[in-house]
Amino acid sequence: MSAARGLRVAAAIGLLGLLLVPIYWMVVSSLTPEARLFEAPHLVPRTVTFEHYRALFGERQFLVPIRNSFVVAALTTLLAVPVAASCAYAIARFRFRGRGLLLALILSVSMFPQISIVPPLFLVLRALGLLDTYPGLVLPYVTFSTPLAVWLLTGFFRQLPPDLEEAALLDGASRLRALVDVVLPLAAPGVATAAILTFLYCWNEFLFALSFTLGPERQTVPVAVTLFRGRYQVPWGQVLAATAVATIPVALLVAGFQRRIVAGLTSGASKG
Amino acid sequence: MSPRLRSGQEHERWLVPLLVGPALAFILIGSLVPIAATVWEALHGHDLRLPWLGRPFIGLDNFIEAAGDPRFRAALVHTVVFATVTVPLEIGLGLALALVMQTATHGRSAVRVVALLPWAIPTVVAALVVRFMFEGLISPSFDWLVRPLAAWVPIGVADVWKTTPFVAILLLAGLQTIDPALHEAASIDGAGPGRRFLTITMPLLIPTLVVAAAFRILDALRLFDTVYVITAGGPGTATEPLSMYAFIALMQRLRFGYGSALSVTVFLLTFGFALVWVRTLGRSLVGDRV
Amino acid sequence: MRRPRQSVFACAVAATLAAGCGASGSATTLTFSGSALGPEAEVVNRQLARFAQQHPGVDVSLRITPDAADQRHQLYVQWLNARASEPDVLQLDVIWTAEFAGAGWIRPLEEHDADFVAAAWEAAHWRGTLFALPWFVDVGLLYWRTDLVESAPQSVVQLRDDAIRLGRGPTRFGLVWQGARYEGLVTVFLEHLAAFGGRILDAGGRVVVDEPAAIEALTFMRDALGSRGFVPPSVLAWQEEQTRFAFQNGDALFMRNWPYAWALLQDDAQSAVAGRFAVAPFPAAASGRPAAALGGAELAVNRWSRHPDLAEALARFLTAPEQMLERARVAAQLPARRALYDDPALAEALPIPLGQVRAALDAAVSRPVTPVYTELSEILQVELHRTLSGQAPPDIALHRAASEMRALLARSGLADESKRP
Repeated sequence: MSAARGLRVAAAIGLLGLLLVPIYWMVVSSLTPEARLFEAPHLVPRTVTFEHYRALFGERQFLVPIRNSFVVAALTTLLAVPVAASCAYAIARFRFRGRGLLLALILSVSMFPQISIVPPLFLVLRALGLLDTYPGLVLPYVTFSTPLAVWLLTGFFRQLPPDLEEAALLDGASRLRALVDVVLPLAAPGVATAAILTFLYCWNEFLFALSFTLGPERQTVPVAVTLFRGRYQVPWGQVLAATAVATIPVALLVAGFQRRIVAGLTSGASKG
Repeated sequence: MSPRLRSGQEHERWLVPLLVGPALAFILIGSLVPIAATVWEALHGHDLRLPWLGRPFIGLDNFIEAAGDPRFRAALVHTVVFATVTVPLEIGLGLALALVMQTATHGRSAVRVVALLPWAIPTVVAALVVRFMFEGLISPSFDWLVRPLAAWVPIGVADVWKTTPFVAILLLAGLQTIDPALHEAASIDGAGPGRRFLTITMPLLIPTLVVAAAFRILDALRLFDTVYVITAGGPGTATEPLSMYAFIALMQRLRFGYGSALSVTVFLLTFGFALVWVRTLGRSLVGDRV
Repeated sequence: MRRPRQSVFACAVAATLAAGCGASGSATTLTFSGSALGPEAEVVNRQLARFAQQHPGVDVSLRITPDAADQRHQLYVQWLNARASEPDVLQLDVIWTAEFAGAGWIRPLEEHDADFVAAAWEAAHWRGTLFALPWFVDVGLLYWRTDLVESAPQSVVQLRDDAIRLGRGPTRFGLVWQGARYEGLVTVFLEHLAAFGGRILDAGGRVVVDEPAAIEALTFMRDALGSRGFVPPSVLAWQEEQTRFAFQNGDALFMRNWPYAWALLQDDAQSAVAGRFAVAPFPAAASGRPAAALGGAELAVNRWSRHPDLAEALARFLTAPEQMLERARVAAQLPARRALYDDPALAEALPIPLGQVRAALDAAVSRPVTPVYTELSEILQVELHRTLSGQAPPDIALHRAASEMRALLARSGLADESKRP
């Protein structure tokens, strides 16, 4: 039995290690001088250089897209999470006509191909002078991150025992009061998860950022990284350094909140 | 667990529009109205480079043009074939990975982090790294990116790498809801691991598999980021999916009418799946199914 | 458009992009977008700074764009279509002016003076209105080896004979030109076309690229690539630099290229033919005329610029004779003003002998001035390349190209509008 088990453990480690190979490769290459980038890889690099990172934050001014991504993600999260939470609470706690339809509607939006709303959004944003601005991105981002947050929080609220709320209501508190005093503290974990997922969505989003921003002043990290151009060829050293930097916030979030993230993502999927 | 409402609180239902309103507003203004506008735009001739032609109503002409457009047909084929090939691959590999992950009793957290990382990083980042690996190191003499069929490989690798762990996590959660007592009983009865897998695990896992597959199919049909970064649709248009062709028609050719028609096609393609998915999932959340 | 924290970051970003930014408290900043390749960067920065000096309270920043023309074009299209207010002044390729004017993206200008090279002046107009100021011109030139032939060929027949006779002796190739499937190929074709008396569009804007003269021209090109020809088939993958290398290494008797190559070919350190070549316009056949395809750049003002008058002033400043002369001296670019060619200062400044340049300019022929030029060109490029690579006979290919071009013009409502050629 232990041999088979040992084999499975080895397979587990092997597969998981395989998953990490590209990331490891990326980090190692970002520390490799440009001239040696396409040589045969060594497991541990012989020469380590920070020239790519220096160039990244120097000439390339990579802090600008990082700032843009943070601002847009923060604004979106601050807007989307309360909006989604209120909606989810209503769906979970009240019975009203069209409840099913509403949820279906909200969820179906997350299935829209983003490209199919680019044309009118582009024309409207252009008319309003919102192209290449923060609000111009926050609007579509809130729209597309709300469904996931609603879905997550609805499941979360449903799992929250209503006893405490009902006790508060019995004591004469209004629904709103109950919401604020009782539910909110309890909802913190779910709300945190929703916030994390929303932040991740914004950080990674590409198509809208590509379509609705015009230049380095407002481009987000994914767009900036993709549009790196050298004079004659792709400056791979800097590109990989940029991807490594882009991965850091993501890695931190994942490492810090992996349990929450998995719980949030699987709560709906494992049902029914 | 379904909440039971006291009938006394029903009179505070005036809260509902307030609570639901903002989300509904965003949904309406942010996507439903735009999608209708896209459909309307698709029925017009609108070339932003030729303003003197105005924006005449041309009915289904854009769709007719698309039907006769070899590049559109090719993009459609690319998209559907890509979904057909990668999704089973990801589900299968994901299942294998999930089964393997199940055995990890220690270091669950580490396992989760490792599995989540590819899913969490931006798609373009994953694609860039894979492209780098293919451009130089994997095969310096065989230029993957200039061959029409070979160019799909890095795209596929990037997609599989990024999403398989996520599928595995979903399936793992599903696996963990299976009562181990069932397995114990079966193995006492003499059933081997293979048999148990087929008769106990799989049937109970089907719902999760369906959900995971639906997620993946929808994403595969909307393929854009990965291709943009790795091949930009090339060589020529050999790796161009529908979303990419729509994007080019819109943002590069500035043919908003035609591009809108292409976008509507992508929408129609995903809408079929969306309907099925929402009916399965939405009902289980809202309804009182145990 | 609200931009929080703009002042801090804008200066940081602009500081690296710009020469001449940095004066805090300046009232207006103009953005100029153009190419800054090699010596161009030096001269354009200097001139922008000079303008800023002459206009207190005004800063001019240079926004760098990709070197490749089609990438720059794409960027412009994206910005202007999005109605970005910057850049205020844009450097356009001559073939883009009609497109941008037709789309309503650049401002019409008043004709203060018309002392510009005729073909460039024409290309700067759309439907009779001026939309850009010609800045510098490029002309296609036939480079020829003075040590191997007595004079520049006076006819295509002579060109062919010389190339065949000498092309397998002292040099490997007779003639080299840009045959890759890109815009350059169209300019080469244009010269052959004019040599045989053909045109792409006639005076009424109708497509005539499938007429006998054009077929003759394309047949001549194709035969030149054949086994008994004088142009190596490898040109079908070459752009400007590859042809330059061939000539520079002494491998070609004749080369068709742009003026930029002159200075590089005269460089003793890397060129094997320094001091042993000259230029002339592409010779004519019996039915046509010598021709030099016109390229170059013009300056236009962004329709949504927040400082249109100032931007126009900048464009006029940069296209003033003094600035053009300075550019000729530093960047070896041909000015677009006719009068300058009589100026001895120009003869001193330019590496290329003025007489030879003038001959080419007189023979300048522009590409069709129409908003859909890019697509017309793509159609033509495909069919030209097909013929030259032996996949289609010239007449069929040109007929196909012509009918597609006619359909395009009709679809765009331009069937009778486009100007010659």
